[in-house]
Amino acid sequence: MLIPIRRDHDLSDGELHSTDAWSWIDDPLFVQFEGGTMAPGLYTGFYRDPDTGSRVDDSSRKFIVALPRRRLRELRALLESACGVFQQKCIYLSIGGNVEFIAPTAR
Amino acid sequence: MTTHIDMAGQSYDLDVLDVEERRLLNRFKRLANRCTTAEYRNRSLKEIAALYESRGLSRREILQTPLYKILQDVGNRRQVERGEARAPDYRDQLEELVRTRFPTRRAFCEATGLSEDMLSHVLSRRKHLSVDRLSEALERIGYAVTISRLTRTG
Repeated sequence: MLIPIRRDHDLSDGELHSTDAWSWIDDPLFVQFEGGTMAPGLYTGFYRDPDTGSRVDDSSRKFIVALPRRRLRELRALLESACGVFQQKCIYLSIGGNVEFIAPTAR
Repeated sequence: MTTHIDMAGQSYDLDVLDVEERRLLNRFKRLANRCTTAEYRNRSLKEIAALYESRGLSRREILQTPLYKILQDVGNRRQVERGEARAPDYRDQLEELVRTRFPTRRAFCEATGLSEDMLSHVLSRRKHLSVDRLSEALERIGYAVTISRLTRTG
């Protein structure tokens, strides 16, 4: 999964995340999934924001989590919450090469 | 007494750490200056798990140990120094409070008396709340503003 290092510009303020947010993702990876590797470096890319129509350039941290297929729902639920914590419209999740965009739960 | 004070002002007594815990902490304090955020994070989580799991602690219990929290803080400080993250402030705490204690922002606003518009501006870092207004809002839901020692870097 890819988590941008900044809050969404349109949804929020485009600022860097607080260290609390990064700690927030570590805790469930460590406890619930008993692991998860942060890949070295940042992954830079761009996409078109469907709401604004503007091109967005971003840099993300990549996390790799190994887990059985039956636990994917838990991971998706974690990322739904992560959208709120990291102020993202959606989070990129690749499962065995198949890409999903996980959106936040409605609040 | 030797203490470690984290970025939020929380103090940890280092004298309660045993020899192995202190050795691990000192090693990661040195490593934090030399290795990347990812290397520090991956290695510190792996090694703290190995240390405490050999003592029969569950992952959930490990999260509560002072050493886990101190290692997180050491890594967090390096992230701030390197410009990869920012130190949290009251708006992050407010955001967490809304997210974890209330079903919706509207519910939070109804309970505190803050307007949704104002909350949105504050959480988006466009505006600040006055101390009086924040205190009054938090008091309504059983919380208070506190002052803590600033030890952050960066």
